[in-house]
Amino acid sequence: MKLTLKIWRQDSAAAAGRFESYSLDGAGEEFTLLEALDKLNDTLVETGQVPVAFDSDCREGICGSCGVTVDGVPHGPVANTPSCRQHLRSFADGSTVTLEPFRSGAFPVVRDLAVDRSGLDRIIEGGGYVSIDAGTATDADAHQVSHETAEAALDFAACIGCGACVAACPNGSASLFTGAKLMHLTLLPTTRQERGQRATGMTAAMDEEFGPCSVIGECVEVCPAGIPLTAIAGLNREKLRSVLRGKTS
Amino acid sequence: MTASLPADASALTPNDVRTIGDAIAGGQPTLGGPNAWADRKLHYNLVSPLNRHKFRIIVVGTGLAGAACAAALGEQGYDVHAFTFHDSPRRAHSVAAQGGINAARARKVDNDSLARFVKDTVKGGDFRAREADCWRLAEESVRVIDHLEAIGAPFAREYGGQLATRSFGGVQVSRTYYTRGQTGQQLEVAASQALLRQVAAGTVTLHTRSEMLDLIVDNEVEGGAARGIVVRDLVTGRIWSQTGHAVVLATGGYGNAFFKSTLAKNSNVSAAWRAHRRGALFASPSFLQFHPTALPLGSDWQSKTILMSESLRNDGRIWVPVQPNDPRAANDIPEAERDYYLERRYPAYGNLAPRDVASRAARDEIEAGRGVGPLHNSVYLDFRDPLARLGRPVLAERYGNLFEMYADATGDSPYAVPMRIAPGAHFAMGGLWSDYDLMTNIPGLFVGGEAGWAYHGANRLGANSLLSANVDGWFTLPYSIPNYLAPLLGTPVLADDAESVLRAVAETRASVETLAASPGTQGPDRFHRRLGEILYAHCGVSRSAAGLAEGIRLIRNLRHDFQADLRVAGDADGFNQELERAGRVADFIDLAELMCIDALDRDESCGAHFRLEHQLGDGEAARDDDNWSFVSAWERGPEGTYLRHQEPLHFESVQPETRNYKTS
Amino acid sequence: MSSTVRTHARRPLLSNFVCKTVMAVTGLIFSAFVLVHMLGNLKVYLGAEHFNDYAHWLREAFEPVLPYEGLLWVLRLALLASLAGHVACAALLWRRARVARGPVRRRSLPWRSFTARTMPVTGLVLLFFIIFHLLDLTTGIAPAASGAFEAATVNTSHAYENLVASFQRPLVGVFYALAMIVLGLHVAHGLWAAANDLGATGRRFRQVAVVASGVVALVIMLGNISIPIFVLLGVLK
Ligand SMILES: Cc1cc2nc3c(=O)[nH]c(=O)nc-3n(C[C@H](O)[C@H](O)[C@H](O)COP(=O)(O)OP(=O)(O)OC[C@H]3O[C@@H](n4cnc5c(N)ncnc54)[C@H](O)[C@@H]3O)c2cc1C
Ligand code: HEM
Ligand code: HEM
Ligand code: SF4
Ligand code: F3S
Ligand code: FES
Repeated sequence: MKLTLKIWRQDSAAAAGRFESYSLDGAGEEFTLLEALDKLNDTLVETGQVPVAFDSDCREGICGSCGVTVDGVPHGPVANTPSCRQHLRSFADGSTVTLEPFRSGAFPVVRDLAVDRSGLDRIIEGGGYVSIDAGTATDADAHQVSHETAEAALDFAACIGCGACVAACPNGSASLFTGAKLMHLTLLPTTRQERGQRATGMTAAMDEEFGPCSVIGECVEVCPAGIPLTAIAGLNREKLRSVLRGKTS
Repeated sequence: MTASLPADASALTPNDVRTIGDAIAGGQPTLGGPNAWADRKLHYNLVSPLNRHKFRIIVVGTGLAGAACAAALGEQGYDVHAFTFHDSPRRAHSVAAQGGINAARARKVDNDSLARFVKDTVKGGDFRAREADCWRLAEESVRVIDHLEAIGAPFAREYGGQLATRSFGGVQVSRTYYTRGQTGQQLEVAASQALLRQVAAGTVTLHTRSEMLDLIVDNEVEGGAARGIVVRDLVTGRIWSQTGHAVVLATGGYGNAFFKSTLAKNSNVSAAWRAHRRGALFASPSFLQFHPTALPLGSDWQSKTILMSESLRNDGRIWVPVQPNDPRAANDIPEAERDYYLERRYPAYGNLAPRDVASRAARDEIEAGRGVGPLHNSVYLDFRDPLARLGRPVLAERYGNLFEMYADATGDSPYAVPMRIAPGAHFAMGGLWSDYDLMTNIPGLFVGGEAGWAYHGANRLGANSLLSANVDGWFTLPYSIPNYLAPLLGTPVLADDAESVLRAVAETRASVETLAASPGTQGPDRFHRRLGEILYAHCGVSRSAAGLAEGIRLIRNLRHDFQADLRVAGDADGFNQELERAGRVADFIDLAELMCIDALDRDESCGAHFRLEHQLGDGEAARDDDNWSFVSAWERGPEGTYLRHQEPLHFESVQPETRNYKTS
Repeated sequence: MSSTVRTHARRPLLSNFVCKTVMAVTGLIFSAFVLVHMLGNLKVYLGAEHFNDYAHWLREAFEPVLPYEGLLWVLRLALLASLAGHVACAALLWRRARVARGPVRRRSLPWRSFTARTMPVTGLVLLFFIIFHLLDLTTGIAPAASGAFEAATVNTSHAYENLVASFQRPLVGVFYALAMIVLGLHVAHGLWAAANDLGATGRRFRQVAVVASGVVALVIMLGNISIPIFVLLGVLK
């Protein structure tokens, strides 16, 4: 099939960006979006041009590296699917597809379609961990966790840290990401001691770089891990709980 | 993937491509068996808490091995600098592991034990691993589960609330802990959180989008010592040096040399390879595992091979039509005309035969013309029977996300039609050689996880490598590194303007600039694809002397073309992914040559290394313990010549036998 | 790049969490008020007398414990404080969201989040409506109020007549009707948002909350909207 790709080109965070159009010939419907970019880049290199920079790694939807905005929608037209698992079969032959980086104030452009999402890690640094040192844990079989609890924790733990929720959010909020982490950890028995501190620390870190949530809900439409909006209610619950009970537990 | 054998097949002999060096010692405790590790720990030197911050340790890689090592050392109070080329530590390829992680906790009454774990691992590796290491792996596996569970990995639980386990290939007990099909992700996320906790605490300095390009060896020290690394900031292009008292390489596996592999696009061998160029021995480079349950290739532009978890083999049944080139759709082929060849050939293990065995069996079927799918390059993995027996909800809970992934990639639903699978390049058993303490032959240079060679011999058992990465990172390096550091108390790190530092930085800069200025016409990916084709054809699931010789010839040609016709678009001072790839491909080409040399040299079949010249009557691997019961550890000589050292292997607890997955 | 180089932004006095909680609480107060107010308004259908008595009762309720218009002033002050809090926090959050999202606007997913995305706009319309409405029916200041406006006295209220006179002006009647649609939109999302902001994670509760937000909003909207419509149709005179 043949596509026209309108791609955002920007040399560095400081440089001004612009759209440029490229035509891509001979791509198959079974190509992933990123394979289409691979093919385009191959041609660009061959014709002496500079290839399009974009992040990707696992190419199977688990590492969270990839992420481009396709026709205005983070990750692409198929809902809840990361860019590396979007296929060209979603586009009509001959159509024009616009590719932009993830857009958010907290995600400066590194180059072209690659952005800096380290803000998400700084949220985790705010408290998204369990303060148990190597070797000091007790026997994991000594406490029981119900099957449902383990599964529920996993539902929230499934977040791949791609940042699409932030890019989709008209408020630039990282609430879905943060809420997913809080809910994941809160459900597990070994993590309860620092529950309050975690909520306080993570929300403070989040507020430093990201926007507030107005429950707009566009984040859940793009989230490749299918994190539900409950995560955000959970975030608020944990924060409220820590305020009402005092900070630490 | 046609194996075009050269006309002069015997052109190259091992003697043309390598010389033989001295034997080396693995430094394992003389006291073998279950007490070895405890005994070794008892004799390690310690660093007092007050002095720990005076030692700076560089950890390259934030996968399970690296993140764990950096976090654990940070928790103890060392000054740790962690590096990853990823934009976030969590993205290391450990995140992609699906099936599970083994542990010899032996809670069930299925007769598991530490000794059985060791036996399975040593046997699974076809007696090409160091047995003492495997004991440590078994022993520390218990703490690994406890720790990761405690720091947030939501392991699957039984309805009674206890940890759930399942079986994996090559064992007959149920010792694999898992979190749905996302075990690696959950462990990696937990480990990177632990790492970020130390970043917040100030003990670890994290350098993301920073790629190690060289190792700094201080030759003023008697015998040389690893004292730093040269790093390229991938965003700004700045090349700088980080010095420290010890360097840990936890940079993952090199299966991506095959281009179409289960590894990530950016997985590479560069860190290990550059250390190798600086003198570190490289062990068993040709021991590469092909995963039997990868998805078959579809298009030319397919960028990688997607892996379906081995756990699928717990319930799925593998078969091919009895009739070669059977044109019928899978569901139209009656039961009597299906050959469940693994169940037939290996009744005791059936569909859970170890990976090398299963991959080879699949290759046999495909080469005999019984392969299925449009390109006849795959076999069926069928869930019809378990679907009837267990029902859809149970299967959905066990494999739901894998089925979804399959449907997504191929357009077929595994609930309706059998999956198609094929062997794909996967796990590198080989890697930087290290002794029992995980230190390479360069003092101060340690290695952990898949970047090293430990534990897995010639074939890794499923779910043992998440374990090995964790055991290395959490429970081995944090003991053995302080042992190395203790005598260095009071020694300053190298100054940034020390001669060896400046030289390494200057050399790296020069080579990056040369690469960036490559004037040709083709991007690095083109060469990478070609390299992958050569490796699949000549150094793949099965190998022959003639094929390997041809492989070496083709790789040398490829290197020549690469040097002549590479184009690196863009500049050296800025974010330039072509430049990153070019450097990695250059190293892969060199590694590929050594893989072929190693495979040509090792004149036996063992584990994943299957030489067509060495098979038993029934097509099984013929190991040659009399001549090859050692680990090959390669030294790089001048101008790409190679010297093979050997570490002899001794087995105390598990006596070498021919692997038998048919009856026991 | 090194993540240890952290620039700590100054922590604002009112954190997002505080703002959100204020929004939710005041929003709920408003919602409760408009629901009750709507029920009171429906008394128009019982006739002028009933309606005026009700309005009168509001002023002399709990006398002599409370002074004349005591209850009313308590309500007024509570509502005024809420309004100040609600509007101030809305402005703060809006501003922060704008900064966080950066200079590039994103194309929103159509319709799905329409009510959510239009909260600031519907809120502003409501603010304007409230001002107009107070001038119209409480203080009786023209041009908001009709020329026929008569203020309430200690003995009686002319609420019914004021209302009918006001809504008989077609423009005003239509404005009221439209404002009620805007109110419905605002409350429909507002209640759901408040449930989330106050941390409702329970599965059942969330299911109920989604439905309840819509139903309450619809009831308030339809109940109120009927009044200007019936006035315009000449049913209420
Ligand atoms: C698809 C798949 C499924 C698997 N499933 C299982 C399973 O079910 N069970 C099991 O036990 N094992 C499984 N494995 C194997 C297992 O996941 C890996 O062996 C293991 O996770 C490797 O961990 P690691 O820490 O050594 O390396 P990785 O996790 O690969 O980490 C490498 C790190 O090194 C960094 N790095 C590399 N080079 C440089 C450089 N030059 N400079 C800076 N940083 C660098 C990277 O950024 C990364 O952080 C699977 C592997 C794959 C590919
Ligand atoms: C007077 C002018 C008003 C303005 C400017 C306004 C504005 C807003 C805005 C912008 C929000 C979204 C806040 C966020 O980001 O979460 C909001 C929320 C809300 N508003 Fe209003 N509003 C106004 C009046 C009202 C009225 C009259 C009601 C009640 C009928 C109301 C009820 C709510 C509720 C319930 C919420 C949800 C609070 C939350 O976020 O949890 N608002 N309002
Ligand atoms: C069609 C719908 C409505 C009608 C018919 C209506 C009618 C009235 C009337 C008649 C009064 C005067 C009562 C009196 O003076 O005794 C009044 C007062 C008031 N209304 Fe409404 N109203 C409507 C909608 C609303 C809405 C949506 C709000 C809030 C957002 C609102 C807020 C108020 C307030 C704050 C007062 C003043 C109370 C006081 O301080 O005396 N009204 N309304
Ligand atoms: S919550 Fe979803 S969209 Fe957001 S970072 Fe996690 S996986 Fe990506
Ligand atoms: S889109 Fe944004 S406003 Fe909240 S619900 Fe999602 S973070
Ligand atoms: S590349 Fe890993 S999630 Fe897309």
